[in-house]
Amino acid sequence: MRPSPDSRFAAGLRRSGSNLSASGRGFLWLVLVTAALLWPIAAAAQAAELDTRVTFFHEPAKGSTMTVYTPSTDLTVRPWDFLTVTGGWEADIVSGASERVKTGPLSRSGPDTITGASVKDFRNIGRGSVAVRHDVVELRAGGSVSVENDYKSNSFNGSARTDLFQHSTQLEIAYARNWDTVCDLAHTANTDATLRQPLDNSTGCFQPNSTTRSEAPIRTDAFQLTWSQAWTPVLTTQVVYTGQLQHGLLSDPYRAVSLSPGGQYAQEHHPENRARQAVALRGAYYIRPLKGAVRAGVRGYRDTWDIYSATFELEAEKYIFPWLRLRGTGRYYRQTEALFWSDDYTGGEPEHGPRGQYWSGDRELSPFSSYLVGLRAVGTWSAGERRIVGIFEGLQAGVGADMLFYSYSDFTLGGRPPEDTTAYIGSLSFTALF
Amino acid sequence: MCISDFAKRCAASLAIGVVVSLAAGCVTVRPEQRAILADPVMQFQGDPREAAQRQHVLENREGSFGGSSVQGGGCGCN
Repeated sequence: MRPSPDSRFAAGLRRSGSNLSASGRGFLWLVLVTAALLWPIAAAAQAAELDTRVTFFHEPAKGSTMTVYTPSTDLTVRPWDFLTVTGGWEADIVSGASERVKTGPLSRSGPDTITGASVKDFRNIGRGSVAVRHDVVELRAGGSVSVENDYKSNSFNGSARTDLFQHSTQLEIAYARNWDTVCDLAHTANTDATLRQPLDNSTGCFQPNSTTRSEAPIRTDAFQLTWSQAWTPVLTTQVVYTGQLQHGLLSDPYRAVSLSPGGQYAQEHHPENRARQAVALRGAYYIRPLKGAVRAGVRGYRDTWDIYSATFELEAEKYIFPWLRLRGTGRYYRQTEALFWSDDYTGGEPEHGPRGQYWSGDRELSPFSSYLVGLRAVGTWSAGERRIVGIFEGLQAGVGADMLFYSYSDFTLGGRPPEDTTAYIGSLSFTALF
Repeated sequence: MCISDFAKRCAASLAIGVVVSLAAGCVTVRPEQRAILADPVMQFQGDPREAAQRQHVLENREGSFGGSSVQGGGCGCN
């Protein structure tokens, strides 16, 4: 979870290597060994579920189009009623182009310092979890390993859940820890932050003998409490509190910000610590005459970088046929800027609080709003007395499409409004129950 | 002063939480009434894997986080 993730600027010059690195080979072995261990369990299991899906993200813009495919496959087996084991793989396949140096309207060098660059990256994630259930209590532990050219991540997560009052109340506590490493340029010791240059590409990252690359750790602790409550046979609510602490290189090493009117730029510079918290409240209500449900949610967020945000979501889902249901989604999001964020550091008084110790031109840290509209259809088929095609106890297929619209109030590219403010998300899924 | 204000807010939040929790204990939906609650259309995250992938896309474009899952695993920040 690198917190400054705008690859349209920052992940810019990554280029995937053609040779599999040592960490990549290790990851491949991990996936193969996990699959080999899970397969015999799946063969003997009472129930097994194979889920495969792909999400497609496309953000068109002149000079900075971004396309990301995210395929994934997960196998879940239940050898006994009390035990559930899951193993899976996911990837991010990225291609496109992005800008590199952020300038503002006051910079005399203007948009010329924004250079487009091709982006290609391939992230692999292996993940697994084990859940044990006894009576009204479920304990779950899991982890993941992810590898990409310039970022490595290991994570552990655990949760405990219990049901109360005839299952009408459900409480869950969850914790996750990330041990991540991000590639950076090998800056000379004691180099002032204003003189640090951004990473230009991922060549040499995580090579033990590299003299031009360094590695920086990021540690993340996340904690979550969830209370779900059924109030009536058709009404349920949920309250979620999430807290997260991050420490390490929280800026994006590829990203640079223009600091002087003459065009001098430096690698963006964020605080090394960030504490974040969010509270979400959701409700779902079933409308019998419509054979469907409406779901509404609101989330409030704040962090120690002084970002406040609010999210409003509304969904309606109904059965068109007993085997087909259709869902419509609407989402509105609005946030304030980080305390140190500016659209232009090259002159004038700051419009939004103090700056100077840190600098960032990330659009994710700027004030903006966005809204999303989407549709999703899901078909479900269950086997009767005979299995479907003699194999499956159940099948499920889904297709969905979302459109995202961004509205940036302060963020510009050298004084010009950004063009990549519309994005499309598509998804396909197929799940088989054996 | 600030600590006092903070303590008051904490105490008020705790009191509200206790009252609502006690109220929840008075409301039980019997197992035979739970068919609709178990229906997929009544699940908050719908399809959890689809929701997680969409959340991954959204969080890469926003400055905020949380309220759904904390399973970890980074970065894929494109």
